[in-house]
Amino acid sequence: MKTPLLSTRDLEIGYINGKPARKVVGSELNLELKQGEFVCLVGPNGAGKSTLLRTLTGLQPALDGEILLVGKKLAQFSRKELANEISVVLTSPIEVGAMTVKELVAMGRFPFTGLFDRMTEKDWDVVRQSLEMVGMQGFEERMIHKLSDGERQKVMIARALAQEPRILVLDEPTAYLDLPGRVVVLGLLHDLAFGHDKAVLTSTHDLDLALRHADRIWLMDDEGQIIQGAPEDLVLNGSFAQTFNRSGVSFNAQSGTFDTQTPTSKIVFLEGEGSEFIWTRRALRRIGYTVKEEWSHGSPRVSVIPRDDTIIWQVARDGQTDTFVSIYDLLQSLSK
Amino acid sequence: MNLANASKPGLTRTVIFILLGLLLLFVIALNLTLGSVRIPLREILRVILGQGGVKDSWVFIIQDYRLPKIFTAILAGVALSASGLQMQTMFRNPLADPFILGINSGASLGVAIAIMGAGLASGLFIPALSTVGDLGLVAAASLGAGLVMGLILLVGRRVNNPTTLLILGLMFGHATSALVSLLIYFSAPEKVKAYSIWSYGAFNGVTWEQLKVLFPVILLALGILALLPKGLNALLLGEDYAKTMGLNVSRLRTLVLISASVLSGAITAFCGPIGFIGVAVPHIARNLFKTSNHKLLIPAVVLIGAIVAVAADLIAQMPGSQFVLPINVVTSLFGAPFVLWIVLKRRRRATSFSV
Repeated sequence: MKTPLLSTRDLEIGYINGKPARKVVGSELNLELKQGEFVCLVGPNGAGKSTLLRTLTGLQPALDGEILLVGKKLAQFSRKELANEISVVLTSPIEVGAMTVKELVAMGRFPFTGLFDRMTEKDWDVVRQSLEMVGMQGFEERMIHKLSDGERQKVMIARALAQEPRILVLDEPTAYLDLPGRVVVLGLLHDLAFGHDKAVLTSTHDLDLALRHADRIWLMDDEGQIIQGAPEDLVLNGSFAQTFNRSGVSFNAQSGTFDTQTPTSKIVFLEGEGSEFIWTRRALRRIGYTVKEEWSHGSPRVSVIPRDDTIIWQVARDGQTDTFVSIYDLLQSLSK
Repeated sequence: MNLANASKPGLTRTVIFILLGLLLLFVIALNLTLGSVRIPLREILRVILGQGGVKDSWVFIIQDYRLPKIFTAILAGVALSASGLQMQTMFRNPLADPFILGINSGASLGVAIAIMGAGLASGLFIPALSTVGDLGLVAAASLGAGLVMGLILLVGRRVNNPTTLLILGLMFGHATSALVSLLIYFSAPEKVKAYSIWSYGAFNGVTWEQLKVLFPVILLALGILALLPKGLNALLLGEDYAKTMGLNVSRLRTLVLISASVLSGAITAFCGPIGFIGVAVPHIARNLFKTSNHKLLIPAVVLIGAIVAVAADLIAQMPGSQFVLPINVVTSLFGAPFVLWIVLKRRRRATSFSV
């Protein structure tokens, strides 16, 4: 058992100077983050994920309880000492333009260089290694405002790595990315924890990716309570379904995805195999059918039939059989 | 800088720096020769080198008029540009500058209070003051500038929108100007005239004695700035990033506040409010060097600021004529369209500090 790098004891987070004077966002938080562990903080919007991350990184004070970083109270760290342990990637895109990738990543050496920011050969080595770790070697001289959003986010992660922290904290690093970008970034974070022994904590809205990659999930609900555990544990004990339970949406513990509930009364019998079968089932569910695999009298019967190099769909109902060459045509017919 | 850095961009930058240095020498030479009286460069060199055989009137013009004026112009250009650069980074706003944010008005208020309050005034604002008074003047102007900047910082730090900050500066400017007007209102008529002349801005009229005060003050404030490029660079990523990188943000902010207010306050005290140099020069530097790195930008704005101010003064002299335009007229005529251009360019591109 590794001892946690970062842990909290009855932590209470929130704001002091708001209205009312003290706004508690979350309380009684007992959390831990270990070396080499990839933790995803998930929860509905407004649950207080950013507040928690800001508190853990020392950007805002805790209201109560304590945070222990490598066995010492977080409040006792100076900014500089803290910079040696934790580095961050924040949600909002940076607004600076006229700067090269190399210059930006070199900023990660800030805690190590002197008053005049002289970079040694060792510092440049760290910059190079950091870019390699995120797969952005060769981009050194590119201007950051000319990178794609995904590339820029990887460079921001490289900057955080150049700080050589033991803990990497990221606040929704995938918020501005397209889907492939999200997959790449979360996969990368997993590798940093798994392959480079960093403790990585990130908040994210990409639940399916978090379920797939995270070693541990911090599941935060609307009341600011957190349940932690392996993603699979939280799925099986129903915590996920409970936290994200809203009208019209339900968490499907089998597929690990969210389903929208369309009121269904229509039943259809489906036969076939392979991915064609799976996608046809999806399509039928979308238009409100309950899909059964055992035929019962009175329901339409849909067959997925391979023919030569293609697939055709046959629908038998009311003693009549129709043939379709695409799922779209099939749905058009069934939704009439 | 390591070896890999000294490649092509490094070389281009060195060349640009050399060219800028030559350009500065050129505008200085031009400024020395031209004016209401045209004096050949060779004669000017003789005067500077202390050789005899030059017309007495020319010696007088060069020694007591043009040389101190050029020194003042250089100091003003350098100080306003350096002040503008720091403020743009600190406020994370491409439009921040001592004039636009009303910090000059704060300096004016400081000057007005110092003169009228202390009863130092004897006729004109500036020339009548003794050396001790000059220092007091600088202190008062810097305090006034610092006060307004501190207020804007307090209110405007949560404002991300550059236009809102602009309006904020405008309002502070109006409020302080109103206070100055109030002071003027209760002052003797000749002071009113003196104030309006002073408010046009001018590089001439600053004596060698006053330069002995102005020069070390500006040098000191630049010395503070010379310690800050690392912190200012970190601030480019935003305050939160800077903090997690170990930067003491409030200390940096205090130092910037001191340096920027002294730079703009001291110049305002001696030359009057001069607009647009502070906002324009940092942009010219960023565009020319294609960088946001303050280690490069600080020397760049120092050079470009000097060039711009000396050139503006050259235009203000209207060579060949007997007229002299107020310096603020020249900088505003060129500067206002420049600010418009920045605003319009910014709308097209979301990144505020990009080239």
